[in-house]
Amino acid sequence: MSLQFLLDGLISGAMIGLGAIGVTLTYSILRFSNFAHGDLMAWGAYAALVAVGVVGGLAGPIAPLSFGLPLILATLFAMGFTAGLALLLDWLLFARLRARGQAIIVVMASFGASMALRNLLEFLFSSSPAYYSRALQIAQPVGFGIRITPDQGALLVMTVALVTGMHLFLTRSQRGREMRAYSQNPALARVTGIDVSRVVRTTWIIGAALAAAAGVMVGTLVQIRPLMGLDLLLPMFAAAILGGIGSVPGAVLAGLIIGLSEAAAVMFIGAEWRAGVAFVILMAVLLVRPTGLFGVTER
Amino acid sequence: MSLLTVSQLEAGYEPGLSIVKGASIHADKGEIVVILGPNGAGKSSLIKAIAGIVPVTGGSVVLDGEDITAVPAHLKIRKGLAFVPQTENVFPLMSVEENLAVAAGVFRGAAAPIEEMFALFPDLARQRRLAAGSLSGGQRQMLACARALIVRPGVLMLDEPSAGLSPKFVEQVFARLVEIRASGVTIVLVEQNARAALAIGDRAYVLVEGREAHEGPAKTLWDDPLIAELYLGHRKEGVQ
Repeated sequence: MSLQFLLDGLISGAMIGLGAIGVTLTYSILRFSNFAHGDLMAWGAYAALVAVGVVGGLAGPIAPLSFGLPLILATLFAMGFTAGLALLLDWLLFARLRARGQAIIVVMASFGASMALRNLLEFLFSSSPAYYSRALQIAQPVGFGIRITPDQGALLVMTVALVTGMHLFLTRSQRGREMRAYSQNPALARVTGIDVSRVVRTTWIIGAALAAAAGVMVGTLVQIRPLMGLDLLLPMFAAAILGGIGSVPGAVLAGLIIGLSEAAAVMFIGAEWRAGVAFVILMAVLLVRPTGLFGVTER
Repeated sequence: MSLLTVSQLEAGYEPGLSIVKGASIHADKGEIVVILGPNGAGKSSLIKAIAGIVPVTGGSVVLDGEDITAVPAHLKIRKGLAFVPQTENVFPLMSVEENLAVAAGVFRGAAAPIEEMFALFPDLARQRRLAAGSLSGGQRQMLACARALIVRPGVLMLDEPSAGLSPKFVEQVFARLVEIRASGVTIVLVEQNARAALAIGDRAYVLVEGREAHEGPAKTLWDDPLIAELYLGHRKEGVQ
């Protein structure tokens, strides 16, 4: 038996986990399930594709990776661009509906936004897949029959850095503490002097920037397609719920669990069962432990 | 001139359905003002409206000469008006220390150091790393007070700090309020526990149907048989 599926699961789990951070923060702070989150991921991937087209001539790839400085710069641009897109969506749509106070309307609106964003991508870029680089990568053996490409290694390191940074931000910085305080008790946050609109802005910026980073990661390791975000939506929600709504470490750990379970299903049951895994996990968590791994009961 | 002057305040969650119906109260510097009244009289809504978390539809709130009626809730505390809600008044998943840090951080340099609050509430210092949600009711109330006091407010408003506490803790919390007043903070206290509140209060209002029906020195209010029977729910010799 090849243990390669463990690495494959780890990689897709890292992408799911990065995306799930945004889902869990939006859910716990803005109090709605943002079904357009996957499409923010796709928009991030395409924003980086456009940016790579512009700055691609600056420098070549950094051996042994398939990419170099241009994609790194393009990723930073994509994170900023996607954050701006999320703030625009909030201003245009979500903030107005939130003010009316019914969460379900906001959720439905996010469905609509999801479709609009996705179709706009297909209109602009067509539905055929695109790539940052056509370069082939040679997977290096690392023992136990597992092989890893340099790109996979680099992106795993990036994920660890982003997640660690995110955790430190939420636990050590004033802004991060304000976000946690607001998610635990919005009314008390206001009388404590916390500026709610700033918390909302920060939440969108962080969620969208991490979604863009995850999008670039999928684009580098798999391919860039308008549907890439939609495909990851169910696993991301499953991870956010399995991890416990509001918990960043929980979302990442659950993302890894789901990625590994999917890879194991492909390995031991059959590739056609892959998409069902997240669904089964989601159902099981909701039935057995709705608060997830690190969640707390809602008051 | 009064530090806090509330005139003809009208407030409520739904338009046209006021809970606070033209209430006027004031608090002078260094006073403990007690607001009593039967259930549903609008006591809580009154101080929530002053704090800015129940929409105000009429009247005015003037703090230290400045009209702050329309100032949003999160900016009112910057003007020196702090509010301690009755329940859910701490951030349960954050440690005691983080609860104080997040409140102080909003004010950057202007807030008191956390250690100053720990000196005032030594019980909290021993629990500083504990999640606020796992504190006992009395300690939670102390933390809620410390959270409000860390920004050095001129006026501290409390909504039933004795609710759900055993008599021993009620005594402790109220003794602490007397100390806080001694440091120059004006206190506005909404209470069901009339006996304990009037014992530490200077002046008291009785609120009925959304407006003040009686005002007087705290000590004499307790002894006024008519008031006592009508609004405070005890007869002269009655036991609480």
